[in-house]
Amino acid sequence: MANDDLLQPERRQFALSGLALGAAALLPAAASAQTATPAPAQGASPVVQAGLSPRLTVHAIDIYNGSAGAGLRIDFSKQEGDGYKLIRTVTTNATGRSEEPLLIGESYQSGDYELLMHFDEYFARKEAKLPTPPFLSKVPIRIRIVDISQRIHLPIQFGPWSYTYSRGS
Amino acid sequence: MTGITTHLLDIATGRPLAGVQVELYDVATNPPTLLNKTRTNPDGRTDAPMLPAAAARTGQFELRFHVGEYFKSAEALSDIVPVRFAIFDAAQHYHVPMLCAPWFFSTYRGS
Repeated sequence: MANDDLLQPERRQFALSGLALGAAALLPAAASAQTATPAPAQGASPVVQAGLSPRLTVHAIDIYNGSAGAGLRIDFSKQEGDGYKLIRTVTTNATGRSEEPLLIGESYQSGDYELLMHFDEYFARKEAKLPTPPFLSKVPIRIRIVDISQRIHLPIQFGPWSYTYSRGS
Repeated sequence: MTGITTHLLDIATGRPLAGVQVELYDVATNPPTLLNKTRTNPDGRTDAPMLPAAAARTGQFELRFHVGEYFKSAEALSDIVPVRFAIFDAAQHYHVPMLCAPWFFSTYRGS
């Protein structure tokens, strides 16, 4: 993923001026990651989203294997009437994120949303030794978007016996 | 002991969440069947198990924590928090706590 895509012009300019000053600490992390030992299912670098336009993004972290939650299926729905209407199904990429924000621009509307996490399928693929059925199978996470002028990042840390979600940044 | 118990804690204050509505549903049926509805006591637990030992059985269950009314924060990330899980062995006890703040929710199989 190109970090530049995620940086606002101001930030990019800041990073460039840092380079001009020769401040090695401000070098894009992706450049230095070339020399790092590659780890399975780990992002090359932290992704900075500060200052981005309003959107809903998700990041799944597998705390059982200590890796990005790559290949996790999420059914994303919006509450309508008594139920939830599917917007689309996404599968997290190698960094545990969805390729595109779940909501952005016109689609970023206030309301109640559900992310149905297919933890059963994920851990079956990882060949985790779990009871049948597992404690966590298809798990709904329900969030409310109130202020559409504010971006919401939703990190989800999950294992076969627990999960945590929070408002991230 | 068998069945389902829970414990609701506010990680921002380090205190139990008292007086919060908690429900237990059987989600193997469509629509889900309400099995129990109560409120947490001053310790953040329920006075009786959500699913008593006498009713313990395998199946797919869902606890719902009505934390929105407790936090009274317009920007809280969640209003009613579901936790959907299976009882795969009715001879075991399932303690399913919820640790939360308006922007943080965490659950696990406890003890």
